[in-house]
Amino acid sequence: MAATMVSSAGGLLAMLNESHPSLKLHALSNLNSFVDQFWPEISTSVPIIESLYEDEEFDQHQRQLAALLVSKVFYYLGELNDSLSYALGAGSLFDVSEDSDYVHTLLAKAIDEYASIKSKAAESNDEAANVDPRLEAIVERMLDKCITDGKYQQAMGIAIECRRLDKLEEAITRSDNVHGTLSYCINVSHSFVNRREYRREVLRLLVKVYQKLPSPDYLSICQCLMFLDEPEGVVSILEKLLRSENKDDALLAFQIAFDLVENEHQAFLLNVRDHLPVPKTQPLQTVQPGSNDPPSAQNDSSTAEDVQMNEGTPASNVNVQDEDPKEVIYAERLNKIKGILSGETSIQLTLQFLYSHNKSDLLILKTIKQSVEMRNSVCHSATIYANAIMHAGTTVDTFLRENLDWLSRATNWAKFSATAGLGVIHRGHLQQGRSLMAPYLPQGGAGGGGSPYSEGGALYALGLIHANHGEGIKQFLRDSLRSTNVEVIQHGACLGLGLAALGTADEDIYDDIKNVLYTDSAVAGEAAGISMGLLMVGTASEKAGEMLTYAHETQHEKIIRGLALGIALTVYGREEEADTLIEQMTRDQDPILRYGGMYALALAYSGTANNKAIRQLLHFAVSDVSDDVRRTAVLALGFVLYSEPEQTPRIVSLLSESYNPHVRYGAALAVGISCAGTGLSEAISLLEPLTSDVVDFVRQGALIAMAMVMVQINEANDSRVGTFRRQLEKIILDKHEDTMSKMGAILASGILDAGGRNVTIRLLSKTKHDKITAVVGLSVFSQFWYWYPLIYFISLAFSPTALIGLNYDLKVPRFEFLSHAKPSLFEYPKPTTVPTTTSAVKLPAAVLSTSAKAKARAKKEAEQKEKEKATAEKTDLSSAGKGKSSNEKDGDSMQVDTPPEKKAEPEPSFEILINPARVVPAQEKFIKFLEDSRYVPVKSSPSGFVLLRDLRPNEPEVLSLTDAPSSTQSPAGGGSTTGQQGSASAMAVDEEPQPPAPFEYTS
Amino acid sequence: MDPKLTEVSQQFDRFKAAMTRKDYNTCTQLLSQLKVLLTGFRSLPPLFEDTPNAIRELTLARDIYEHAVLLSVKVEDQDAFERDFFQLKPYYTDAGKRLPPSPNEYMILGLNLLRLLVQNRIAEFHTELELLSSTALENPCIKHAVELEQSFMEGAYNRVLSAKQNVPNETYGYFMDLLAKTVRDEIAGCSEKAYDYLSIKDARQMLLFTSDQELLEYVKEEHPEWEMKDGFVFFQKAKDSAPCKEIPSLQLINQTLSYARELERIV
Repeated sequence: MAATMVSSAGGLLAMLNESHPSLKLHALSNLNSFVDQFWPEISTSVPIIESLYEDEEFDQHQRQLAALLVSKVFYYLGELNDSLSYALGAGSLFDVSEDSDYVHTLLAKAIDEYASIKSKAAESNDEAANVDPRLEAIVERMLDKCITDGKYQQAMGIAIECRRLDKLEEAITRSDNVHGTLSYCINVSHSFVNRREYRREVLRLLVKVYQKLPSPDYLSICQCLMFLDEPEGVVSILEKLLRSENKDDALLAFQIAFDLVENEHQAFLLNVRDHLPVPKTQPLQTVQPGSNDPPSAQNDSSTAEDVQMNEGTPASNVNVQDEDPKEVIYAERLNKIKGILSGETSIQLTLQFLYSHNKSDLLILKTIKQSVEMRNSVCHSATIYANAIMHAGTTVDTFLRENLDWLSRATNWAKFSATAGLGVIHRGHLQQGRSLMAPYLPQGGAGGGGSPYSEGGALYALGLIHANHGEGIKQFLRDSLRSTNVEVIQHGACLGLGLAALGTADEDIYDDIKNVLYTDSAVAGEAAGISMGLLMVGTASEKAGEMLTYAHETQHEKIIRGLALGIALTVYGREEEADTLIEQMTRDQDPILRYGGMYALALAYSGTANNKAIRQLLHFAVSDVSDDVRRTAVLALGFVLYSEPEQTPRIVSLLSESYNPHVRYGAALAVGISCAGTGLSEAISLLEPLTSDVVDFVRQGALIAMAMVMVQINEANDSRVGTFRRQLEKIILDKHEDTMSKMGAILASGILDAGGRNVTIRLLSKTKHDKITAVVGLSVFSQFWYWYPLIYFISLAFSPTALIGLNYDLKVPRFEFLSHAKPSLFEYPKPTTVPTTTSAVKLPAAVLSTSAKAKARAKKEAEQKEKEKATAEKTDLSSAGKGKSSNEKDGDSMQVDTPPEKKAEPEPSFEILINPARVVPAQEKFIKFLEDSRYVPVKSSPSGFVLLRDLRPNEPEVLSLTDAPSSTQSPAGGGSTTGQQGSASAMAVDEEPQPPAPFEYTS
Repeated sequence: MDPKLTEVSQQFDRFKAAMTRKDYNTCTQLLSQLKVLLTGFRSLPPLFEDTPNAIRELTLARDIYEHAVLLSVKVEDQDAFERDFFQLKPYYTDAGKRLPPSPNEYMILGLNLLRLLVQNRIAEFHTELELLSSTALENPCIKHAVELEQSFMEGAYNRVLSAKQNVPNETYGYFMDLLAKTVRDEIAGCSEKAYDYLSIKDARQMLLFTSDQELLEYVKEEHPEWEMKDGFVFFQKAKDSAPCKEIPSLQLINQTLSYARELERIV
């Protein structure tokens, strides 16, 4: 017989009114089990049940039962607050382990409630916040349950939310995979802990837990310590590792150093470097490695010597002091790690990588150049910017060399930026930067014959070359700044100094710049304002007040704007600490300061996706009276949200349809900034309509933003990339297009192929730290609205997409690994071939040579390279003095590129990449290391610098990347910068003219 | 036989004996104990567990609750009636298919309908009615209640009152008395709306009182706002309380028309 079902709770409800208590109890317990079905009926009788709960005469159990019943009914009615308060009344009857919607929902509610109470208490610093002990009990019961059930991640999440560090620790230590949970916890603390102070507490706890472990994960500890800004901890770890007998420990130390460098926290890195203890042996010997420190190395213009130093000194050390081998080893390792920490090693390797893998397409530039009218100076300089961006960090300045006449049309500020562009191209060329720029630099006290514009530009260029690693160049820039009264040179020097001394908070430099500011000259003052901000990035120093006062005093809008941005930079990443300053700025009468306030919001909360900041920005975006402020407010959203790029298109989608073109422009750039390099489909869909907006500057912004989003995405990934490239070409070739959007298109083509197609724009490091240089770079870049030369700041945000494996000697050995994806998905875009008819008619000769060159490059790459190298060696045999050794190495480096280029008929589903290789961000998840390889990575990370452990140390090593480019690139001596690239291509393509003589501007 | 069941049935016998003695106090006490005992059976609603004695237990429990309902009528306790009836209902609706039909079922359902009518809960009355099968509607007990309701709604109050004479069961008497009062309240409410005043004689007739004295007491108790003066009953006071607001219709029409005209001109 089928079980009979009740159809109504009426009977039970009626029973509640009976006078006998046991009848009521019976009714309650039955109702409790039928509540899921009959809650609508019961809901009308809730008052009766409530009165039962409040009836003091009942025994405890019965009252709790009543409370539970009411709680359930309220839950079904959607009254979660009431439901929760009754559930608390139900005490132990509320079973956290029950698997029902009701329990899940209420638990979530309880935890939310508890977390919000706790965080409110913490924010108001009111320790004695009265938390309902019953609530606390429930949350604790939940936590304990999670821990005992092995759901450690849940437990940790709840513990962090509820600020229960004690429970967090318990969860971590009791988990079965402590390392896994710890790294999970670090991720969580970065992405979900909104308050900086609290995050620090969490991290401090993590470090504590880490240190207790039997086998500490030093990589992670150091990351935490870095966030906490505790260089001493890192120093002691590094020292321990370096002093270890085991070679692997030293490798680990190097890896740590590289990972730290990736986060670009200059002040911290310098601190670590300077605190590393010197070897204990005679000071006489340690002086020598000491002299290898960046200041002297960078100032040294002689290449040969530099090479000597890197390789020679350790060897000589060994020879001299063999009495204490341990110390010798330590000294040698120390030497290496100092090189890494100062950023030199990684910069040098990056430079080599970018140089050797450069795939920029000169034909694009040629097309642009030909289609741009000579007299249109905006487009003319835009082309120069595009060239600089395209070749950022590659040291390839062929285009400039080939077009000296054309280049000389740049006058005044255009000349300033043309010269500064060299800095972008040679970015990171620390050793020879100074000698490269020498022809343009101010000559001593005499003032020289050079134009102040190229001199100022050269100083700016030096800053760009040494951005964030300016130890060696700082002094020179300071001297130049002091010895001039020309405001253009001051402008360049200020920018250069700010870049070189980024975030060092150096008081002396600050005073120098302040003096410039107080001359109250508009041009120099603007740069000074920005420069002060760069210098004080993220220090939240009280200098901001000083700057604010001056901003109120001065009459020049330019200065106010520079200062406003500068003030904003000082509060970078300080989150809620910056609130007072932000408040002050956003309430100001002056729209320019409010505009600075937007930047302050953007930078203080950069990458936090903080709801409060977003709300504030959206408010300003729709309510401020000044268009500038509104535009910036929307743009600032991009900075706040870059850690969650998926969110941005959704948030700004309405704004992108605003009637106000400034808001639309801001929306475009916000998407560009936060989704940079992601190729996010939603972002592209949002930008697409904006690229054909009715207002010219909106088109400009949208084109640039689109290029930022699509950087390094090829057509196989998203077909819209191809469409976009064609659109750019069309705009550039169109005679009737507005100058503004034309300029946007030119810049966009530069950004799209930035850094020889080997860099992407990345604001977060792999460990989810914000890259301070990159963020600062983009924020100043977004100022180009007012001042075009600031476009170059975008180069700070470029980070090479490469996997570079290094051995113990910090050399790049030949090492293969697997990319488990179709090669076509991530290959370089095909070089443009036949140019359009219009340009072909105009300049047939040029077209012929280039197309031939392009063909040659596509087809006979290996051949060409061989010639290239051969000529390179020939020409530089004398100066480099190490041609022999590089000979066989080059043989290998040629193979680097060849295999993936050849397309087999059925496309293989994987490809073998050879160290160092281009690995675009989307490709990272396909990277696998081969198991039977000779080298094993210390840390399996799919990109960046990876230290390799050599399993067969006795076999001879084959190096695949050598110092060849940097040592042969530009021979020392008075600015004769005849590039190797130039001569190489000249040899490869016969009709190419002889390399031009060293060029200088004639003003 | 299950000792518990025996105990219950013995107790129930005692209860029935007390009921025939009309010793209602004892009855109430016994009933309360019985109900507690019944909670011990797992075969009863809402659990309906399939125990071996389920049928017997269910039947017994139904019997007890039926008696409980009747008892509540006897002691004239409407709340108890409602309570017991609701507890009894699952035995008819949910367990109905498993048990032999109870002879008292329709009588009790009819009583409940009557009760709803008395309490003027017409909506619930109809809900209950909808739940009944067509055969049930033929039953004199149910039919009686339905007819009463129809007369009540029509305003044929005399028919309602005359129906008292032919009740299908003697237990209905109590509710019929109550119904008379409900009818009187209805009439009072209507006259209040319909008349400004009535002579005492007319009012007495209208409200179905036999003497003026009864009328006076009724007015005093139920409608203190009525005024008795010069042999008339004045309802005026109650009327004043709700002045209705006038809608400025003319103005609105004018405005709308002018808008329409102007709109035409613009286009």
